[in-house]
Amino acid sequence: MPEVDFTVEVCGMAGDGTIAAGGLINEAMSLGGFSVLGFDSYPAEIRGFGRCVTNSRIGSNDIVALGEKTHALISLNDEQSRSRAPFLAEHSLVFFDSNPPAYVSEDNSLLSVLPPGEEVFGMPFGELAVGASGSSRGRNLTALGGFAAVTGTDPNLFRKVIRDKFKSKGEKVVNINVKSFDAGYQYALEKFSDRLKSVFPKIETGHDPQKVTLSGNQAIGMAAIDAGLKLYFGYPITPATPIMEYLAKYLPEHGGRVVQMEDEISSIGAVLGSFYAGARSMTATSGPGFALMTELITHGVMAEIPAVILDAQRGGPATGLPTKTEQSDLHAAVFGGPGDSARIVIAPTNVEECYHFVIRSFQLAEKYQTPVIVLTDFFLDNRVENRPFIRASEGQAASWNVFPDDAFKDRYQRYADTPSGISPRALPGMQGFNFTATGLEHTEKGSPDYSSENHAKMSEKRHRKIRYALKDLEKPAEFFVSDNLDVGVIGWGSTFGSVLEAVEKSRKNGFKVGALKITSLFPYHSETIKAFMAKSRRVLVPELNYEGQLANLIAHLDSKPVERLNFVTGAPIPPSAIQNRIEELLEVVA
Amino acid sequence: MKTPARILADQVNRIQKSGRFSPRSASLPTWCPGCGYFGIHQGLNDCISRLGLPLAEIVTVSGIGCAGRYPFFSNTYGLHTVHGRALPAATGVKLANPNLTVFAVGGDGDGLAIGGGHLPHIARRNIDVNYLLFDNSIYGLTKGQPSPSSPIGTKTKASPYGTVDKPLNATLMALSYGASFVARLFAGDPKGITEALIEGVRNPGFSFFHIYTTCVTFDKNFKTWTHLKEWTHALSQDYNPNDLRRAFNEVLNDDFSLGVIFKRDI
Amino acid sequence: MSVKRFVIIGNGPAANHAAEALREKSSESKITMFSKDPFRSYRAHLLPDFIAGLIEEEDLYNRPYAHYNEMDITLRLGQRVVNVDFSKRNVILDHKEVVPFDGLIIATGGKPRIPELFQLFGDIMMTLKTPSDARLWIQKLSYVDSVLIIGGDLTSLSLTKALLKLGKRVKFILNEDAFWPVPLNEEIYRAVTGRLEQRGIEIVHCRRIRRITQLEENLLEVETDSELIEVGALGAFFGLVPDVGFLARTGLDIDRGVLVNEFLKTRFSNVYAAGDCAQVYHPVLRDYWISIGHENAIALGRIAASNLAGSHLEVQVEPENILEVGGVKVNTSWWTEF
Ligand SMILES: Cc1cc2nc3c(=O)[nH]c(=O)nc-3n(C[C@H](O)[C@H](O)[C@H](O)COP(=O)(O)OP(=O)(O)OC[C@H]3O[C@@H](n4cnc5c(N)ncnc54)[C@H](O)[C@@H]3O)c2cc1C
Ligand SMILES: Cc1ncc(C[n+]2csc(CCOP(=O)(O)OP(=O)(O)O)c2C)c(N)n1
Ligand code: SF4
Ligand SMILES: [Mg+2]
Repeated sequence: MPEVDFTVEVCGMAGDGTIAAGGLINEAMSLGGFSVLGFDSYPAEIRGFGRCVTNSRIGSNDIVALGEKTHALISLNDEQSRSRAPFLAEHSLVFFDSNPPAYVSEDNSLLSVLPPGEEVFGMPFGELAVGASGSSRGRNLTALGGFAAVTGTDPNLFRKVIRDKFKSKGEKVVNINVKSFDAGYQYALEKFSDRLKSVFPKIETGHDPQKVTLSGNQAIGMAAIDAGLKLYFGYPITPATPIMEYLAKYLPEHGGRVVQMEDEISSIGAVLGSFYAGARSMTATSGPGFALMTELITHGVMAEIPAVILDAQRGGPATGLPTKTEQSDLHAAVFGGPGDSARIVIAPTNVEECYHFVIRSFQLAEKYQTPVIVLTDFFLDNRVENRPFIRASEGQAASWNVFPDDAFKDRYQRYADTPSGISPRALPGMQGFNFTATGLEHTEKGSPDYSSENHAKMSEKRHRKIRYALKDLEKPAEFFVSDNLDVGVIGWGSTFGSVLEAVEKSRKNGFKVGALKITSLFPYHSETIKAFMAKSRRVLVPELNYEGQLANLIAHLDSKPVERLNFVTGAPIPPSAIQNRIEELLEVVA
Repeated sequence: MKTPARILADQVNRIQKSGRFSPRSASLPTWCPGCGYFGIHQGLNDCISRLGLPLAEIVTVSGIGCAGRYPFFSNTYGLHTVHGRALPAATGVKLANPNLTVFAVGGDGDGLAIGGGHLPHIARRNIDVNYLLFDNSIYGLTKGQPSPSSPIGTKTKASPYGTVDKPLNATLMALSYGASFVARLFAGDPKGITEALIEGVRNPGFSFFHIYTTCVTFDKNFKTWTHLKEWTHALSQDYNPNDLRRAFNEVLNDDFSLGVIFKRDI
Repeated sequence: MSVKRFVIIGNGPAANHAAEALREKSSESKITMFSKDPFRSYRAHLLPDFIAGLIEEEDLYNRPYAHYNEMDITLRLGQRVVNVDFSKRNVILDHKEVVPFDGLIIATGGKPRIPELFQLFGDIMMTLKTPSDARLWIQKLSYVDSVLIIGGDLTSLSLTKALLKLGKRVKFILNEDAFWPVPLNEEIYRAVTGRLEQRGIEIVHCRRIRRITQLEENLLEVETDSELIEVGALGAFFGLVPDVGFLARTGLDIDRGVLVNEFLKTRFSNVYAAGDCAQVYHPVLRDYWISIGHENAIALGRIAASNLAGSHLEVQVEPENILEVGGVKVNTSWWTEF
């Protein structure tokens, strides 16, 4: 089978069924046995009127990054789709409504901005839908029908996922929708009979049932539920809101509760309160909300109370770019807040890791009695991937709480110093262990004490504990690493996929390039990172931020300067940009 | 020879001395001598003793301020949070383990200024937390700045020409926010505090205790012991706390009547 | 010059040369070309070679997409103009888009002519005008080994060559319209049939076709007044007619093509027509004429563009454009009768 690497976008206005159509493409292609990485974007704060775009990259091999050029554009609203024209590859396929309800001026037309090489497929989306179902609401499905016909996709894949999607709404709705799809499919087969392609050949092995199509947000929500989350506290903010919405829907049936709080301060306050009282809880926010939380996060550090905080990063500073992706909260996550407040910061790089890291974050928080910050970003939260995905067993999500021994009853020291720095923690209700958790500097017993000896001792204890946590934190993973590399690329978070793709491509071009994935951002495995830097003649750190926040964090580990590649376009880093930089560096190396 | 009664009496004595069942912690309060908070401490401790609540099943949550230190002086579980955030933390504690009895305590700066945004929400969510607002109309811990409940004209180092902003009325606010139990009390009357607390703890929702108190160190003019004793007085005999309109009237007409102002019929 | 926005309908030689000439004369203006066909500008005379497998499809095309970028010309393929509003000065596209123009050149060329008699069999009869027609021929020829050509215009002869090259059996019905618009006289008829028969083509002499029946997907039965013929495919070659139907009722003067004066201007200001679709006035003949052919299209396209850009050029095409058909020289230009 020829290698497939095809990107399709659906663009329309909210209400056009854009996101649904994109979702169906992802599902159908997954069902067909392809790898899919999808990413939807829409201006959430004006969702009722705004432009929606879904982007799906479909491949016969694993897909780890977003497609850079679009090979097919399905326009459900031409005025909105104009903005997608610059992203079209040469000779892409453009599907549009050839019979819109009203005449459009050239300034609003999609076709007027297309380069001449694109192939246009005009179909009366609405009319076909009306013919099939009596209503034009199925326009998005007739469009999908056209897409399936022209790209040579097995229509049964779409029929199946359409059935699944509408199953809950009854047989009638299912049939209407399948009919709409079929109407578009038949129309395109006939109308474009001399222009049909075969983009998606049938994959004989078919669908791998272990593969599940999931968004980062869904994976996070599922992880929280599988971890036995009891309470979710949050305040709406893009792009974290879908996590709250997911849990609001599913947590109650698992015995948990979602409380929408009055702000982010109260959200983290309540999370600390619940963990203090022994229940797993979490909050998810984005940069502006995270900033509000920092005082209480350091309270968790000082009073040694667990907390799980997910920071779904967006463009900043301040309100910034609410619907754009960025990795610029790293400094805030690691350093934000008053005092020497070391805490644990981890960052998944793909959907599957979102799931496992969130589960792990509860355990780390419990064992190390400190806030654990999980850093994701708009791109990671909203992308969907279909990868083999195995849910954690109850045992894998088990509590890591460290309770005091009964022997210490009535002479309990809440902040007792131990070799690891971990002090067994009692929960309210346990007889004979009453204590006050405090954010004031305190003695081992927990009484406020500002003496210099005590502050020095307890600061050391808390930091020793965080360093000790390294043994439970995932080590950096090496890709294509040999004893000496011309360029070593270090990546984190949502950008790592682009790093990997770029490195793979450079290697195919015959270059000695390797990659290092860092998921534990604080504390971090300095020895492993150092070793990687040492065997790389040049070290490149691509990041979605202006300041080079990871580079700043690790640059001191090696004497040679770290090369930075910083993007603040609000969009994921294109693999080709990293590859170009790698190859530029190679010229310098050579 | 020891009679069984004698042995029992000795045991009781020893236990009492050990403080294991006393709500008072071993560390003595660090408040200034004469501070109104001692009276509140007594009122709350008596409530706990009289209700016979196991100390390990009580959590006292506070923010920052002289009042915020409270948990250290209590033998319950304590959660001393940051400035203004006692109520969110208390919400988390209560929802995490509904078997716990939760007290939130804090000053007027803590609860009406920096944390003022939380009061309406815990009230409307009706979380079963008992919140004691220690209203001395001053920032005690930071050494005497005006607070949101200081009367117009309050002179402090931070307001040498007198304050110009209108004070907040915490009782009125709690009523407006829909708190299901509202009492107005006075630190000089620990018995009254105990009585109201016992009633409030039994209220299965959010209970608000607005406690007039004094900062002997930084307020020599306004909410002094003398003034408070002179101004405060009990609610009238025929007062019916189940009538919200009446409660509003009472609070609008009289700033200093004490007792259970409102109690939602269940 | 105040004219800023030019629209050209067409992407054949007339349209492309007009666009290029316009760009030479006005570097600032915005130029947009529309073609109802989804492919680039191609060399029509190579289509038979493509069918014969002598060249690749790519070789048909003579202007890369980049060319339009370089010239800053917007080329919009696969988008059909369905109407022109000359009062508002808009062209209207099939997909309901409205595009304004200051100046317009109509260069829509011709489309295969199917005489009224045969229109009933439109579905069955194959023509050859575009690369996609050629692809259909290629597809068809992979299933059939005999073809009947009816009509027999100039392109049919080059297609026949291709068919023979592919080893297909070819039958030919040279009917009256054979060399439309050139009248078929005895001399031509004899010369042509002679040549064709020499090459192994079976000439069917008949006056009329009575019936065409599709027996199977790839089997047709044709009944003439003289015989019953079974063939795999049927080609209709009756020449090209100006493709201007969509302009009916727009107020433009249309006879068979768009009527223009000797400067290629229509009755509307800044609206011109050129190429196979234009019917040009001849001041001496005092009549309108049409030419079919590549060179003619180029020349007319350039003149129309120059005049739209402010020149005042009169059509000075070669008096004769001679084409050799089966050894007979035929004049393909300056037809007034057709
Ligand atoms: C098979 C074949 C062989 C030929 N061989 C020769 C030869 O050897 N020598 C020779 O001189 N001539 C030959 N010709 C004729 C020659 O190709 C034409 O005379 C010439 O192409 C005419 O050019 P034109 O620009 O006027 O029109 P065309 O080339 O026909 O172009 C017309 C354009 O207009 C577009 N169009 C039409 N209607 C619309 C609409 N409504 N909206 C948008 N676009 C529209 C079409 O898509 C097309 O792009 C041959 C023709 C064919 C078909
Ligand atoms: C975020 C923050 N801002 C300011 C302070 C300083 N601060 C501590 S207590 C306090 C006010 C105390 O007044 P009040 O709440 O009335 O309590 P009191 O001391 O009177 O009991 C302030 C401003 C702080 N601890 N944290
Ligand atoms: S400063 Fe005022 S409020 Fe604080 S302890 Fe002293 S008297 Fe009480
Ligand atoms: Mg105060």
